[in-house]
Formats: sequence, structure tokens, C-alpha cells
Amino acid sequence: MQTIALIGNPNCGKTTLFNTLTGTTAYVGNWPGVTVEKKEGLVNGHRILDLPGIYSLSPYSPEEKLSRRYILDEQPDLIIDVIDATNLERSLYLTTQLAELGRPLLLALNMEDLLEKEGIRIDARRLSQMTGCPVVQISASKGTGINALLEEIERSLEQKKLPMQPLFSNFIERYITTIIEDDYLHQIPKGRQMRWAAIKLLEADELFLSSMPAPPQAFQTYIEQARKELVEHYDDDVQAIIIDQRYKVAEHIAKDCQVRTKKAKQFNFDNLATSKFGAIPLFIAIMAAVFYLSIGLVGGYTTGWLESFFAFASVHIQTLADAMQVHPLLSGILVDGIIAGVGAVLTFVPQLFVLFLLLSILEDCGYMARIAFIMDRLMRSMGLSGKSIIPLVIGTGCSVPAIMSSRTIEHQKQRELTVIVTPFIPCGAKMPVFALMLTYFFPGKWFIAPLIYLLGILAVIITGLLARALDKHKETNAFILELPRYQIPAAKNVWLQTKDRTLGFIQKAGTIILLSSVIIYLLSSYSFTLQAVDAESSMLAILGRLISPLLAPLGFGFWQASVALLTGIAAKESIVSTLSVTIGTASLGSFFTPDTALSYMTFILLSSPCIAAISAMFKELGSKRKLLFAVLWQTGFAYVAALIIRSATLLLL
Amino acid sequence: MMQMTMDELTVGQKGAVKAINAPKQLKRRLMDMGFTKGVGVEVVKLAPMGDPMEVSLRGYHLCLRKAEARAIELR
Ligand SMILES: Nc1nc2c(ncn2[C@@H]2O[C@H](COP(=O)(O)OP(=O)(O)OP(=O)(O)O)[C@@H](O)[C@H]2O)c(=O)[nH]1
Ligand SMILES: [Mg+2]
Repeated sequence: MQTIALIGNPNCGKTTLFNTLTGTTAYVGNWPGVTVEKKEGLVNGHRILDLPGIYSLSPYSPEEKLSRRYILDEQPDLIIDVIDATNLERSLYLTTQLAELGRPLLLALNMEDLLEKEGIRIDARRLSQMTGCPVVQISASKGTGINALLEEIERSLEQKKLPMQPLFSNFIERYITTIIEDDYLHQIPKGRQMRWAAIKLLEADELFLSSMPAPPQAFQTYIEQARKELVEHYDDDVQAIIIDQRYKVAEHIAKDCQVRTKKAKQFNFDNLATSKFGAIPLFIAIMAAVFYLSIGLVGGYTTGWLESFFAFASVHIQTLADAMQVHPLLSGILVDGIIAGVGAVLTFVPQLFVLFLLLSILEDCGYMARIAFIMDRLMRSMGLSGKSIIPLVIGTGCSVPAIMSSRTIEHQKQRELTVIVTPFIPCGAKMPVFALMLTYFFPGKWFIAPLIYLLGILAVIITGLLARALDKHKETNAFILELPRYQIPAAKNVWLQTKDRTLGFIQKAGTIILLSSVIIYLLSSYSFTLQAVDAESSMLAILGRLISPLLAPLGFGFWQASVALLTGIAAKESIVSTLSVTIGTASLGSFFTPDTALSYMTFILLSSPCIAAISAMFKELGSKRKLLFAVLWQTGFAYVAALIIRSATLLLL
Repeated sequence: MMQMTMDELTVGQKGAVKAINAPKQLKRRLMDMGFTKGVGVEVVKLAPMGDPMEVSLRGYHLCLRKAEARAIELR
């Protein structure tokens, strides 16, 4: 089987193309750095890989290192260089590096649909002549040009034609030619081009030098002499000279192949979105609208309706089961276990659907990168980076992709801090338990829901400020982020992402939640001697009482609450299903009071996230010690916060 | 003559890159993004709190902090 790699600048549409070619639903969004892991698929029987976007082959953040390592070490049979056609010049800079790798190269000029509007015309034939690569114009999101691309892929895989090498100025080429002629160059790694090696030698690329045997003295002297003459001639360091030369090549090709008739016009929305006084209020308003629309408006209509549906279903199934004389254990599992547990979670599908829909619109329209832009200053004062806001916004849907998206933050400390604080933002799966508690204990008090989010944000801020205060070095680092164009979100993308996430939620209800509801039901119906007993002397009660004393100071020291928290580790939705199996949503009032409900919500909000998010955290933090610290910090923070909230409400109420 | 750096540009002002005075890593990074000698840059916008700044170069938009912009010397 042959392997094809999709390489290109961030946000040029690689994943969209990957999805179109393979029919999958990998994560797409309109900001640089959406893809952080490599993803494999199949196209026409070939292996195809989607990789994180890179601007050059010298990587700066972990996800870029992955791409570089992949193309240098794995030697794909074909590299498809995906190019945002509206950004030809800068894209060609990467192309000049890819052309030297000794692999067949195919240029896919993406976003063809935007060219006319932007007033750009590209001569694909000329581009193909100048680069020696086949060129196909496509639109990954509209699906045009895909057949031509597929044909070209087959042809390239067959012909294995190598691209032309970008040529630098004569002054440099002289040295390159001399170096290539030396015998030493025959020792370069297999599959590498002589020219590539010669340039690496001149650049004194550490990675390359360490992979080579020490050169003979005379050759070493020659290289050093060459470097010195280059530095004198261009008055810059060699690496900078090479970058400069590559950009000259890119400029030259772009100038020859592209006509820009009119200038891209100014965005209008942007004037508001990034204005001095409007920007941050607008951001807050947009996020508030997202939650109001999904949780408030939609939830208000659908939750009651779905609740009555499941109540109706359970009454009738119970009657039916009694009539058929089904064993009470079976009907109990079905009605009090599965329908109660899974039903309590499924009630929230419409709300989450709308939440996921609005988030994916937000992600695809180009606003996310602007949020990073407007919030950078504030985030920096908390030891975070502007880029940290992107995980926090994504985290309102689900912490797992949010934690992963922190990988684009170059600075290690900021990245780790972002990973630790992201779970403080309540994810969609925590919403059911808040909604349940709020409608039961605080009907009509609409202002409490936003306060929960505010509390999450406060936890982020406090953690950030503490980390910053404790950090002795106070080093700041670069914040460089491309701002993509605004666009009307692609309907197909939005639909695919929303569907994927909603189905994921439903699937969890049908698997993890279902299983845990059944287990909880059984454990709460039997004693350790397997006698049918009432809940208070069940296995579950005994297990729950092992930890409930710890939680007693917070006001929920009864076993049902503890067990629900434990099942919440599997998935946060389980908290609701467990409560409804063990307590029954109608009788919450005989266990919780308003103050303990608040402290319970606080604890759930801030304590360590579900197992999926914990393993995402482990992956990003990369060490067990740091993970342990993160989980302890989150849970400790939650404990103290819940204690404070409870005491405060007791004082006030 | 006074040296001018990119962070001193006001919104709407243009300039051309003369040199980049930064540690190796940052210099490479900026050059990879297209800040090479002679390239034209324009400041498009400042963030609400005056930092970072949005600049356009080579037909695309980029944001960076003033601290980094200070490394970019203009002529
Ligand atoms: N107009 C238009 N937009 C497109 C096209 N292809 C992709 N996009 C949009 O470009 C944005 C980026 O797409 P992605 O597929 O996530 O880009 P990527 O190259 O995978 O980005 P990274 O993973 O960040 O490197 C999304 O908002 C897409 O909707 C296209 O052909 N035309
Ligand atoms: Mg991608």
C-alpha cells in the first residue's frame, strides 16, 4: 500500500480535504492549529494522512514537530502540498522546502471558490511549469476539482516524478555545487537529496549534523569558509539568508503565476469585533447568547416535554411488565435502571445539539482567532497566552478536544497551565446536573446559571494568578498567530461537526450511561450476600459511605451523592443518571437543600474531570506527576470553593 | 539617524523590513512567517488594550505582540 501525506500551512483546508477524500468527520475549524494529531484514512486503496499545519520545516510547537518528524522520517510515497490559493506567496515558501525532500510532490490549490471574490487569478499551467509539480485547482469544502485530484494522485504515484529544485542566487549556488561534488555527501541518509544535505550543512542544522559522521578536516574547513563568506556577503546569518532566498523564489513564482486585480476589501464585522470598547463586551455577549439559546430557550421547551415522555414510557412499560409477569428484577433494571438513568441524560440531547451547533458555527466563521487577539493582554496577566482562550471556549462543549487544542501554545508552562484550567469551564456533559438542580431548587432564579460559568472563569483566573505569582522566571514568550479570513460557515462542516458531537453524546448514553445505570441499580438493590434489600443496606450504600464522611463538611455526606460523584468519573452525565436511579429526580428535596445543592454543583463544576479528559490531560502534560498535581489541584480547589459557597449561602439565606 | 521598529507604527502606517534583531529562535520564526528584508508591512489594527497588533504582509493578516514587533526594524 502506498502512503500519501497532506502537508500545508495551518488552516489551508487539509482536514476538509481529508474528510472529502475519505468520507470521515475529522475536526475542522477556521483558525490555525485545529489538527494536532496525525489522522489516517483510506482513499482509493492508498493510506492517506492528515497532519497538523506547518509554516516551515523548522517546528516551534509540539504538533508542528509531529508533522516535521513524520515527513522527514516516514518518507511518504507522495506529498500533497495543500495550498490556500488566496495566500499563494507564503504557501510557496513551504513548497520550496518540501521540494527538496526527494519525494514526489503534488500541489493542490485549495479554496478555488474564493479566488474570484478576492480578485485573484492563478495560472495553474505556469505554476506547474515553474515548480515541476502537477497542480490541481480544488475546493475542498465545495467538492470541486476532487475527481481531477484523484486522477492526478494516481498518475503521480505511478510516475514518481520528483519536483524541480528551487534555485537560489548564483553566489550561494556556487557553494552548494561544490559541496554536492564532495564524497562526504555520499554518506547522507538514504532517500535524502544531495542538495538538501548541502543546504543543511551550510545552515549548520543541528539535527542534521548530529545524524552524520564527522567530516574530513579539509571539507570541514571549506564549509566553515563558505559560511563565513556568505555571512560577509549578505550581512546576515546563514539560516536567515536561506529563508530570504526561499521567499525570493516564492515571490518570483507567485508574481509570474498570479494576477491580483483588486485588493481584498476590509472586513466590516471585524471593526466591531476588535474595536477598542466593543470587543470584549461583544465576546461576552456572544458567549452569553450561545448559552441562552441552547440551555435557556431550547432547553425550556424540550426538557419538560422529554421528561414527560420518559415518565410516560416508564409507567407504561411497568404496567406491561406487570401484566406479563416479568420478574421484578428485570423490570426494575429496565424501568428504574435504564429508563430512569439513560432517560435523564437523553432529556438533554436537544440542548446539547444546539450548543454544539452554535459552537461549530463560532469555530468555522473565523472569530476564534480574533478572540485570542483581543484577549491576549488579559490572558497574559494571568500567566496564560491569548491562544489559551481557544481551549476555554471549546471547553464549553467538551473538555477533551479543548485540552488537545492547547497543544498549539508554544510555551510549555503556558500550555500546561492551560491544560490544568480548561476543565474548570463546565462542559456540555456537566450541564444536565446543573439544569436538574437549578430547576428543582431555584426555579425562576435565572441568574444562577451564568454565575456557575462565572465561578468556572474565576477558578481559571485564580489558578492563573497564583501560578504567575509563584513563577520565578516570569519569562514571556512570543505570541504570533495568523488571523484567518471571516467566512460564512460551510454548512457541510457545521452539520458534520454538530452531528458527530451530538451522536457521540447519544452513543455515550447508550453505552457508558446504560451500563453504569444497570450496575448502579443492581448494586443498590442487593446486599453483599446477594439478598434483595432496600437501598439503605445495599452494596452501593456501603461503598458510598466509605467516602461520604469526607464530603460531609460540604453538606452532601450521604452515600447517593458520593456514588454519583464517583460514577461521574466515567462520564459526567452519569451523575444525573445515578442520582435519578438512587434518589429519583422528584425527591431531590429530601436529600439536598438549596445550600447543599449549590455546594454540590460547585464541587462538580471544579473537581477533576471525567476519565476521557483526564487521559487527554495526561497526554498533554506528559508526566504522571504533573497529572497528579493537576487532578489534586482541581479537586482541592473544588473542595475549598464548595465549602466557601456553602458557608456563604448559609450566612446569606 | 533614528531607528524605527514596527511597534512604533500607528494604525494604517506602512513600512518595509530592514532587519530583525531578535534571538535566533524568534528571528527564524518571524522570518518563516514572511518578515524578510524588504517586505512591505502595514499595521491594520491594535487590540482593545493596545497590544497585540494586527499587521498585514504578503497578502495575509497576522497578529503579534508589540514585544515581538520591536524586534522588526524598518526603513
Ligand atoms: N471557501 C472555502 N473554505 C474552505 C475550503 N476548504 C476549507 N475551507 C475552510 O477553511 C477552514 C480551515 O479548514 P481546515 O480543514 O480545518 O484546515 P486545516 O488545514 O486542516 O487546518 P489546521 O488543522 O489548523 O492545520 C475551515 O473554516 C474550512 O471551512 C474551500 O475549498 N473553500
Ligand atoms: Mg486540520
